[in-house]
Amino acid sequence: MPIEIPKDKWPGSIKAVTIGATAAEGGTRAKSITIGGQNTMPYLQFEKPTPNTPVIAIEIKSRKPEDWSPLLEKPWGEAMADPAEWAKKAEAAGADLLVLALTLEDTPDSAVKTVKAVLAASGLPLVVWGPGQAEKDNELLVPVAEAAKGEKVVLGVCEDKNYRTIVATAMANGHLVEARTPMDVNLAKQLNILISDMGLPMDRIVMDPTTGALGYGIEYGYSVMERLRLAALQGDAMTQLPMMVTPGFEAWKAKESKVGEGVPEAWGDWEARAVNWETLTAMALVESGADVVVLRHPESVKRVKAAIGELMAA
Amino acid sequence: MYIIGENIHILSDKVKEALTNRDREFFMDLAVRQVEAGAKAIDVNLGPRKKDFAEVWPWIIESIESVVDVPLSIDTTNVEGMEAALQTIKKTQPILNSTSAEPERLEKVPALAKKYGAKIIALTMGTSGIPVEADARVEIAVGTLIPHLMEIGFNMEDLIIDPLVLTVSGCQQYCPELIGAVNMLQYSWDPAPMISVGLSNVSNAVPKENRPLINRVYCAMLMGVGLQMMIADPLDAKQNDVIRWIEAKDTSTPLAALYNKIAERTAAGEEPQFEDFDMSDSDQADIWKTTQILLNKVIYADGYLNQ
Repeated sequence: MPIEIPKDKWPGSIKAVTIGATAAEGGTRAKSITIGGQNTMPYLQFEKPTPNTPVIAIEIKSRKPEDWSPLLEKPWGEAMADPAEWAKKAEAAGADLLVLALTLEDTPDSAVKTVKAVLAASGLPLVVWGPGQAEKDNELLVPVAEAAKGEKVVLGVCEDKNYRTIVATAMANGHLVEARTPMDVNLAKQLNILISDMGLPMDRIVMDPTTGALGYGIEYGYSVMERLRLAALQGDAMTQLPMMVTPGFEAWKAKESKVGEGVPEAWGDWEARAVNWETLTAMALVESGADVVVLRHPESVKRVKAAIGELMAA
Repeated sequence: MYIIGENIHILSDKVKEALTNRDREFFMDLAVRQVEAGAKAIDVNLGPRKKDFAEVWPWIIESIESVVDVPLSIDTTNVEGMEAALQTIKKTQPILNSTSAEPERLEKVPALAKKYGAKIIALTMGTSGIPVEADARVEIAVGTLIPHLMEIGFNMEDLIIDPLVLTVSGCQQYCPELIGAVNMLQYSWDPAPMISVGLSNVSNAVPKENRPLINRVYCAMLMGVGLQMMIADPLDAKQNDVIRWIEAKDTSTPLAALYNKIAERTAAGEEPQFEDFDMSDSDQADIWKTTQILLNKVIYADGYLNQ
């Protein structure tokens, strides 16, 4: 007996958002990347094909991070002290785009210099994060946005206390913003309303609903993502944005990745476990509808990329 | 609508200050103003008062009873405080607010209400919290609350079930279910128990300027399913208009007709329809958006009216 698979028809769809600009588009990127555009829940290819493949960003820092796991120093090595070199290595490792995280030690001059060096070293589209303190973010991101005018960089991180300056400079310089809220559908939607009220077009916002690592609240994270995506498909314009999440940051905070000694033997090889933690965290989020996952370890990048390929082909 | 006036509530800064200063006049005035505005009873929520309950409850009950004749609702979780209040009340049958279905509370509070001949508000909340689904809340009422009260020989006419309003800002999935619970509770037992809700809870954590609109739209929906008693702000004139329009089936203005339509739709088990609203009228457009968040059709955000 033939079985008919029920299909949902949704009135709404996710905005397609393009990050990065090629020479033809007014920038210098080798290619731009488009994310979003879905009209179904994730990977229900029999309802509607997924229009744009989810992408992987690799996180690099303007200065060698002191608090990263030694397991991450192994693959990146000396490049961690030189953002331009790190960017090249990340591109070679298969990144679709780069996240450059500025630090509290940066000055406006050093931040601009680093961003320019990274843009020169790699043709990938770029996301730039401030160090995460409102005043410092504003101090660094405004000159960075001006220096990178036309590149369609994603500026982050916009939060409810700290979005006006970043949104204003994104509007003035043709960039996008990353809107981050703490794992709550109401707050996520509210920040999107506030940002779009300032006049930034919706196709220049990527939302970051925040997530947790496997074993550390990931289920709250993906429930929020699912709810936002359902609302978007039902036609709620203020939730119809692609989602960017940070499984690398979350997974490498988890004890299972962070600690190599003093853990039960049954946990097995540290490195294998750590990479699994990052990979599984990222894949759960991809399957929940993430459009961009930000990772740290090149092996995780390889595995997540392969898995995404399978999801897209299914 | 039987309104139990909510304004003497410890979460209000003015109330807190007046209580600290033992400002009799403040509470007398607030009680009188609520009754003059139509409150049929006065809720008195002073928090747990673990240290000074024996002094503060008699003090406030005497103050309020000296100026109004309506029933007082003793709103506290402190059982000793409840008893101190009940011992003081002289005028009218009081309301004990509240018990839940948690064993410890259920054992103590209804017995106290029975001893003093008070009405009791019983919350549909068990040991594992407040269920989302309407029928699970009804099940707490008919499976736990009512049987226990019958068992202790409580006068069932004095039982008021409260199926618990939660805020649209954070507990949005509860909002449509509560409408269903109010509806079902009326058919859950014979004779039907009295039902009351704390209306303003629906807009807890909502920016102040948006609270009254959410309250009165929800009020219209709940009146549609037969709500006749609530703890609410009797001083909210616009809310009182909505109550009057629905009770009198007054459709003489577009807004009155619209609130009646919302109540009718809800009564019929339907949702308000887009075509019921004149979207060129900004008041009506705001009411439409409010129905959509209350029915959990659109995700609530503080700026939902600007969307």
